[in-house]
Amino acid sequence: MSILQTCITLSAFLFAQGMTSTFAAQILERDGPNELKPPKGTPEYVKFARQLAGGLQCLMWVAAVICFIAFGIELGRGNMTSFDDLYLAITLIAVVVVTGCFGYYQEFKSTNIIASFKNLVPQQAVVIRDGQKNQINANELVVGDLVEIKGGDRVPADIRIVFAQGCKVDNSSLTGESEPQTRSPECTHENPLETRNIAFFSTTCLEGVATGVIINTGDRTIIGRIASLASGVGNEKTPIAIEIEHFVDIIAGLAIFFGFTFFVVAMFIGYAFLEAMIFFMAIVVAYVPEGLLATVTVCLSLTAKRLARKNCVVKNLEAVETLGSTSVICSDKTGTLTQNRMTVAHLWFDNQIHAADTTEDQSGQSFDQSSETWRFLGRIASLCNRATFRPDQEGVPIPKRIVVGDASETALLKFTELTIGNIAEYRNRFKKVVEVPFNSTNKFQLSIHELEDPLDLRYLLVMKGAPERILERCSTILIRGQELPLDEQWKESFQTAYMDLGGLGERVLGFCHVYLNEKEYPRGYNFDPDDMNFPTSELCFAGLISMIDPPRATVPDAVMKCRTAGIRVVMVTGDHPITARAIAANVGIISEGSETVEDIAQRKRIPVEQVNKRQARACVISGGQLKDMSSDELDEALRNHPEMVFARTSPQQKLIIVESCQRLGSIVAVTGDGVNDSPALKKADIGVAMGIAGSDAAKNAADMILLDDNFASIVTGVEQGRLIFDNLKKSIAYTLTKNIPELTPYLIYITVSVPLPLGCITILFIELATDIFPSVSLAYEKAESDIMHLKPRNPRRDRLVNEALAVYSYFQIGAIQSFAGFTDYFTAMAQEGWFPLLCVGLRSQWENVELQDLQDSYGQEWTFSQRLYQEYTCYTVFFVSIEICQISDVLIRKTRRISVFQQGFFRNKVLVTAIVFQLCLGNLLCYCPGMPNIFNFMPIRVQWWFVPVPYGILIFVYDEIRKLGVRRNPGSWWDQELYY
Amino acid sequence: MATLKEKRTCGQRCEDFGHFVWNSENGTFMGRTPLKWIYISLYYVAFYVVMTGLFSLAIWVLLYTISPYTPDYQDRLKSPGVMVWPDTYGEEIVEITYNSSDKNSCVKMSNILRKFLEPYNETLQQQWNNVSCTRGQFHIQPHFTAPNHTKWSCPFTQNMLGPCSGVTDPTFGYNSSRPCVIIKMNRIINFLPSNRSGVEPYVNCTVLTGAENVQDIEYFPQNGTMDLSYFPYYGRLAQPSYVNPLVAVKFSLVKEKEAKIQCRVVSDVISYENIHDPYEGKVVFYLSVES
Repeated sequence: MSILQTCITLSAFLFAQGMTSTFAAQILERDGPNELKPPKGTPEYVKFARQLAGGLQCLMWVAAVICFIAFGIELGRGNMTSFDDLYLAITLIAVVVVTGCFGYYQEFKSTNIIASFKNLVPQQAVVIRDGQKNQINANELVVGDLVEIKGGDRVPADIRIVFAQGCKVDNSSLTGESEPQTRSPECTHENPLETRNIAFFSTTCLEGVATGVIINTGDRTIIGRIASLASGVGNEKTPIAIEIEHFVDIIAGLAIFFGFTFFVVAMFIGYAFLEAMIFFMAIVVAYVPEGLLATVTVCLSLTAKRLARKNCVVKNLEAVETLGSTSVICSDKTGTLTQNRMTVAHLWFDNQIHAADTTEDQSGQSFDQSSETWRFLGRIASLCNRATFRPDQEGVPIPKRIVVGDASETALLKFTELTIGNIAEYRNRFKKVVEVPFNSTNKFQLSIHELEDPLDLRYLLVMKGAPERILERCSTILIRGQELPLDEQWKESFQTAYMDLGGLGERVLGFCHVYLNEKEYPRGYNFDPDDMNFPTSELCFAGLISMIDPPRATVPDAVMKCRTAGIRVVMVTGDHPITARAIAANVGIISEGSETVEDIAQRKRIPVEQVNKRQARACVISGGQLKDMSSDELDEALRNHPEMVFARTSPQQKLIIVESCQRLGSIVAVTGDGVNDSPALKKADIGVAMGIAGSDAAKNAADMILLDDNFASIVTGVEQGRLIFDNLKKSIAYTLTKNIPELTPYLIYITVSVPLPLGCITILFIELATDIFPSVSLAYEKAESDIMHLKPRNPRRDRLVNEALAVYSYFQIGAIQSFAGFTDYFTAMAQEGWFPLLCVGLRSQWENVELQDLQDSYGQEWTFSQRLYQEYTCYTVFFVSIEICQISDVLIRKTRRISVFQQGFFRNKVLVTAIVFQLCLGNLLCYCPGMPNIFNFMPIRVQWWFVPVPYGILIFVYDEIRKLGVRRNPGSWWDQELYY
Repeated sequence: MATLKEKRTCGQRCEDFGHFVWNSENGTFMGRTPLKWIYISLYYVAFYVVMTGLFSLAIWVLLYTISPYTPDYQDRLKSPGVMVWPDTYGEEIVEITYNSSDKNSCVKMSNILRKFLEPYNETLQQQWNNVSCTRGQFHIQPHFTAPNHTKWSCPFTQNMLGPCSGVTDPTFGYNSSRPCVIIKMNRIINFLPSNRSGVEPYVNCTVLTGAENVQDIEYFPQNGTMDLSYFPYYGRLAQPSYVNPLVAVKFSLVKEKEAKIQCRVVSDVISYENIHDPYEGKVVFYLSVES
């Protein structure tokens, strides 16, 4: 704290007048408003430009430019007839722009989801200025302002407390601790994070009131610094982005290679430079899968939509797939694994531990409530409790009602409300006379009540507090409603129960009561809470109640699923190691029978150092231990112990743990809600923020948001992610296949000089119209096997597009499709009068605009336009062949290993619709009037649709044979070469 | 993941690539052992041999089913195209421009026509098509009555074109302002240019622009008719010596002026208004003479 700040603090404190408004305005001008600067966003136009400048897009820009140049040269020569190049250039640019807009829209939409999370209502704060209390917007606060906070408020800035009354704050958003922390004017620690006299920006005041002087505002607050730490962590590329980039590089490289080779070949054969350039462009258009990016985006956004329905909002589309390749989940405890709600878990009375129902919907078994002791214990728990329900919540189920009070009292209130009934009315029957609230010195809370029986004039004193303190004050114990003297034997059983419950990581409270003698304490007796002029010892012990933030019901199952899916779940929490361990064991992060090094040491009765660390499956490391470990040691620990729990960790340590996991080659998902988690969320391969409990900073840093804060949703995400990876593979295989039948016409055209079998515009129609829907429909394909029983994919080995996939698609299926196309092409040509052998070498005459009487094989004479329409007929016929083969292709791509008959032909309704759509669109293009002159489609004879059918059947049969071989001989040569 | 994100230096990349090309540990060359390369190559050779076989089979079946005499479909040949000779193109359409006093220009034009008329040589026609046809009637031949399993073709000789035959005037009028052009209609198998016997198609030339520059238009044969006996055409195999009937048009031009002329074959079964095919049923050309 600078001297200036101290002076301001002092002066404000001394005068209790606050600052003058004018001075405050000056400081406001100097420091800026008291709010966290949002992380610097990329300007919108840059985002849009980025969408237009991907690898494939660049290639298409090049193709478009070549088209323009070609058109320009043609125009310069005065040849007005060929507008084809211009159309093609415009189409290419349109394709790039439209896919760009699509991608931009997707991104824009997901950003908007985030924006909607932000709380738009400005926060208010009570500030003392010019000696008067004012309510102003919190962002107008400045350093030195005197502010008042009370229970329920969010702390408006970093504040040094100058006055406090029962003030408690919840620092969980900052440190992750869920325990409420007392705040008082005394400085208790050098570390500002530990000391009691500073309340931090964005934490909440739970109860009490406090006045303080603002010492830091805006980005200079502790939370602001953490937030800026988060923005400092670079954004890592998602695995799928890497995959696609890798793939696009290869495609672009191959396209340029092919294009250039044929450019050279064309020049060598003797084509003009301009023609060779057009060949180059045509090859690029044919080879680049224009529809691929759209397909991938649509597939991912479909999955994102499906996930959103399951309460996972995906900010970054590619994150969907990342989730599928996740191998480690670093999960927060509070709120994610647990319900983030203290709940009564166990009771100990009548020398027996009873389990209470901790399920969220109260569907569990309740304990035996017939004992007399329970009646007394329940009465103490209901009466010695200051928490109350907010009014007007009759319709709300009890566990969901909002309560004013701290976490344990809330738990007790809800518990008693559930077991005993209407507590408000119950308390009315026992009129409260006096109460002593809990404080840290005596560690108990008591209250004195009148009895409900108006004839019984005794007072009832009820007390609760730390169990050992309560026990000290007791001389008797209630067993089955009977008061028995509290001897050593009972004390011992008390100790055992207390240890047991404590060992479960639960917070234990003791309860006792006593009836005050009506003679000594008659009606109207003046009980003084400060002097305590009533007995606080020789009480009667009733029992223990322990509370815990219980795990969510779905979590153990989800953790189990993760385990079978080969995903490690590591717990990282700011909580106490014992609690952390108990919850970990409860949800299965530490599985049954797993021991830590300490457990083994205890069992074998040997010192910890002698234990072979490899024997211990589980390990609990606290923040303190972690501080002393080198990164190698941490890696070692993570490698040796499959079940890890980190407790009492700081934000930086969370980051260290994530980095360590990543060093070990894992893909790490991190869940978190607090601002403290945001650096780790950013660093993780996929950050998962909580939608309900999560802070804005966490949501900003995350890639995905769980709307229901439920860990089980992550598992759904993983499943969907894996499915989409498999399905994208299928989609891409489908999309790639047709590039070969699109490319070969050009190669044959250039080398053998046949009339062009397939035009560029037709290719674009295949790529961007007819084949889009079928390739997207593969995203709806069901998993072939139980994907949640496989190990996560190895990002280095299992690529999205591997050699086998490309080679099989290109050189086998693609080749068959090319043969189909050429068969149909030659059929159409021959039946119209041009025999295959005549076609060879015909190109220059065929394309001669000045030749109006070219003879076909029958001696008939054709004008140029008649030949041109015949060429369009060929385009259409080739198009139809590709379509028919692609129908077969989409059917074979439904599965990679199992037979299509096993998968079911009609199970994927979308795919069936897509095939029907594809056929309808094909027919529309062929037979719609006007098409020949707009898009070069001709109404072809119906029988030419059936020429490629045998090839389609061949593709299907061949692929079934391939799959059969792959299934029958796993690991064989066949499997290695032909499974993709 | 960390391993994937590593920034690799160029040296490392080259090393990786080298490792890929030849990996001495596994004995793999470009990712496969030599034996595996042989296997995969054999597989692909077999695959392509089978595929080529299937393709050849398909083409063979195709050709087997196709008649050598008549095409299966004539979807694009609903109506015949018409062309003019000399076929000297300008930027877009035929432009017959010559200089009547320039010998070269005259020779160029007359050579084109002479070459075009070669098959119509009297002796050749006598040799090939020594048959007399009934004028004014379609020459329908359901059977292969001619030698070598062919059908008869009616002769069309050069001198039917009168002054434009090139016999009397080897310059075809290109040394004066009265040039000849020859109009040919494309042949289409089984196409009958008239739906009634006796009504013959004829060529009619109209001046589209520059009408004042054209003083007179003469047609040879008489009236510019194409005799019906030349139709129908039965294809190259059935009528190897078939020649298209021609019509010569002689224009009388005003010197150094240009005229845009459309010559149309008039018949009620020949369409001429297809905007996508300017040569269907008609031909448009510029004609101008310089001196």
